[in-house]
Amino acid sequence: MSTGIAYETALQEWRQTAPADPRPLDLPVSELLSNFHPDRKPGARSKLVIGPNAGEECPNTLSRLLQSDSLLEDVDIAGAPTSEADVLVIGGGGAGCIAALTAARAGARVLLATKLGLGDSNTVMAEGGIQAAVGADDSVQQHFEDTIRAGHFAAKKELVAALVTGGPSAIRWLIQEGMDFDLADGTQRMGGTLRYKTAGGASVPRLLSFRDFTGLELMRAVREATLLQPNLTLLTHHPALELLTDDRGHCAGAVLYDFAHGQEVVVRSAVTVLATGGSGRLHLSDFPTSNHYGATADGLVLAYRLGARLRDVGSFQYHPTGVAWPPPLEGQLVSEAARSSGAFLVNGLGQRFVNELQPRDVVASAILREIDEGRGITRDGKVGVFLDTPSLERDNPGILARELVTLGNLARRGGFDPAEEPFLIRPTLHYQNGGVEIRTTGHTSVPGLLAAGEVTGGLHGHNRMMGNALLELVVFGRSAGANAAADARRERPRNVGLTHLADWRRAMESEGLPLDRKAPQLFPYYGNFDPVRDRRRGA
Amino acid sequence: MTMVRLVIDGHAINGESGTSLLQAWVAAGLPLVGNVGCMGQGVCGACRVLVRRPNERLAQTGLACETLVEEGMQVAFINISRQRRPHSYDLHALGDSWDAIARIDEIFPEATRCRHCGGCDAACPKGIEVEKMVNLAAVGQTLAAAELFDDCVQCNLCVAACPEHIDPAHLGQLVRRMTASMTLRPSDLIMRLHELEAGEQTIDLDSPGTLPQVSDDADVETADLETADVETADLETADLETAVVETAEIENADVENAQIENEEVQ
Ligand SMILES: Cc1cc2nc3c(=O)[nH]c(=O)nc-3n(C[C@H](O)[C@H](O)[C@H](O)COP(=O)(O)OP(=O)(O)OC[C@H]3O[C@@H](n4cnc5c(N)ncnc54)[C@H](O)[C@@H]3O)c2cc1C
Ligand code: SF4
Ligand code: SF4
Ligand code: FES
Repeated sequence: MSTGIAYETALQEWRQTAPADPRPLDLPVSELLSNFHPDRKPGARSKLVIGPNAGEECPNTLSRLLQSDSLLEDVDIAGAPTSEADVLVIGGGGAGCIAALTAARAGARVLLATKLGLGDSNTVMAEGGIQAAVGADDSVQQHFEDTIRAGHFAAKKELVAALVTGGPSAIRWLIQEGMDFDLADGTQRMGGTLRYKTAGGASVPRLLSFRDFTGLELMRAVREATLLQPNLTLLTHHPALELLTDDRGHCAGAVLYDFAHGQEVVVRSAVTVLATGGSGRLHLSDFPTSNHYGATADGLVLAYRLGARLRDVGSFQYHPTGVAWPPPLEGQLVSEAARSSGAFLVNGLGQRFVNELQPRDVVASAILREIDEGRGITRDGKVGVFLDTPSLERDNPGILARELVTLGNLARRGGFDPAEEPFLIRPTLHYQNGGVEIRTTGHTSVPGLLAAGEVTGGLHGHNRMMGNALLELVVFGRSAGANAAADARRERPRNVGLTHLADWRRAMESEGLPLDRKAPQLFPYYGNFDPVRDRRRGA
Repeated sequence: MTMVRLVIDGHAINGESGTSLLQAWVAAGLPLVGNVGCMGQGVCGACRVLVRRPNERLAQTGLACETLVEEGMQVAFINISRQRRPHSYDLHALGDSWDAIARIDEIFPEATRCRHCGGCDAACPKGIEVEKMVNLAAVGQTLAAAELFDDCVQCNLCVAACPEHIDPAHLGQLVRRMTASMTLRPSDLIMRLHELEAGEQTIDLDSPGTLPQVSDDADVETADLETADVETADLETADLETAVVETAEIENADVENAQIENEEVQ
């Protein structure tokens, strides 16, 4: 793994060639992806044998989780405290908060349950921006086509159409909730124009931003709105362990786990909205991740066990530029803004090896190829390639301090000066392209269960464009919330229990799957938390 | 690799130098189920700690994912609920901006009683001039106040530090949200919204641009085989579609797009 060129040697090579000449990829893209993209690595995937997607391939780690048994038995919920809600929202990131707000404002009694604190999520970490076609030279059609193309034509068109046409009103909604946006240079807050940046794979600049911490600005406004919303009850540090069903097989709420007391809490609801986000903390194929600590695919596990169809579940996004060294920062994101501003990627021989502005999957695979073929750079047992920030600064004096503030902070914490020394970077597990299949209304294939945000699949095909994830959580968070509130008026939970588990266990047994494998996992493996053991504490 | 000794929440730990307090905590085999979110980016504000270094008389507040281990440190996690909300308001009912100062004073009456003790500034892990923000907000200089809070991660350490119960973190959010929602009116966005409402911006689902092209640049080549399953539109249970119709009146129609829904039912 860590064979390559020693850091000191590579640094000398880099000094001699910097700024290195452009060198296009010398391999057809399709060959590059099929040989080096982690999704395609032989041995890393296996076929699902039970559940709605049986027969489809997905990464081994995820397939183990999807095909495991519940943490719960009927007795666990028999005496548990119970609450009721019209709409239960699971997950307190951007999608969950927006769905909960929308449902509560539509008159539903809402309960929002989340695993960590409110807003402690991938949303708050987003840096680059949110895409919406507002420019005079842009159109929702162009946004549509760019998204379809970036996703390698595998996205569900109806979802993408809803995403892009909902873009401008999503931005208005965010402003109405008190989110600020960057303005174009020299324009004013009233009647000016927004600032557009370019996302990799976009035909025109349409990435709207707030500095290089767009997700923080979004989450601050939306979290505050959620905290202040009447009709909305919050249960933080209450992860969902299992969904509930009624006698018709509809989703009827969830069993939560109250960490503080080590006990289950039952929430019966007419409608449930799943907004649990992604799965970077599963560290598929041992990749580092940019994701927050709670991104462990819980929502996929719960929905799948209840019979919800997933799609593109084997497709993940590896962000090209995660930190490879120093170890304490491993996996953290060096924003795409560095490459879009013109920073080069350089291997251990001082050579460039790909056009840095290609879509993320291409650039990431090209980096992995350099590493695999021994042209990577090794330092203290870590391996990566250089992101040439010093040459960027030399050609654009002041750019690091002015436009790449978060990048500068990251380098400072790593103990080096990005104007003098290049970053050592390596692809990091970043985004779950697929997920629970939904319609434009947010409905999944299970009645009573809606979903929004990164937990869903279909919008991004096999590769997500930068800026579409933040847009997705606003557009689909809102429509899921509105539809959940509407459905809740017609629904009452009845005979609620864990009836789906009997069939599930039978299916597991008939395929010879071990029943002692339990999920959801809730935290990464190094979090020293075993839900099975911890639950005995409360008993 | 050098190791340092420190104490976190009563546990004596050997931490590898260069690692953060959170990393040292999990490396020592201790369970981490709260006081964490982004795990290193320093943006969620969940990992608040009180840190006392040897030879320092006073303890300092900080973020455990950004603070590196040091020999002899004494560390305690601080739990502050974000849910305690004495200062409530409805952003959409604040009225017009002539009354902004009056509204701020109504919602955060304590803000005018700042005793300039600097407790909030000392507590802030992001080096924000919290006291100055409070004082500017109290006299209605909302834009200037809002800008001071650009980097706030809502950790609420300033809230815990304030003897006057001013709730600076939330006052900061009020002025920020007020400023954005009352003063940000981008003309490009407004134009596009009008075009959408007038039906001048629509989607052609099957335009040539949505199809792989032979002549296209390299990345498109990969469109190949994987798309096979796309059009086998995986939708069952037509009865669920009825939900769509009923929602139209709930939200301003902009979320939905009737044309698209029809396509989907087929
Ligand atoms: C570092 C980084 C940078 C990014 N930059 C951008 C960008 O510039 N532009 C862009 O568009 N996108 C970006 N993304 C992607 C985007 O931020 C996410 O895809 C999006 O925010 C996901 O929102 P969400 O609400 O679906 O999930 P999240 O925001 O992750 O929220 C999910 C919530 O559910 C909780 N949860 C998980 N399991 C359970 C459970 N069992 N029970 C209860 N709650 C649970 C989680 O703890 C979390 O709070 C970035 C992502 C990262 C990590
Ligand atoms: S201003 Fe307050 S809430 Fe914001 S970062 Fe500083 S201490 Fe935390
Ligand atoms: S802690 Fe409170 S009283 Fe003291 S300076 Fe800050 S806002 Fe004023
Ligand atoms: S874990 Fe998010 S700020 Fe430390």
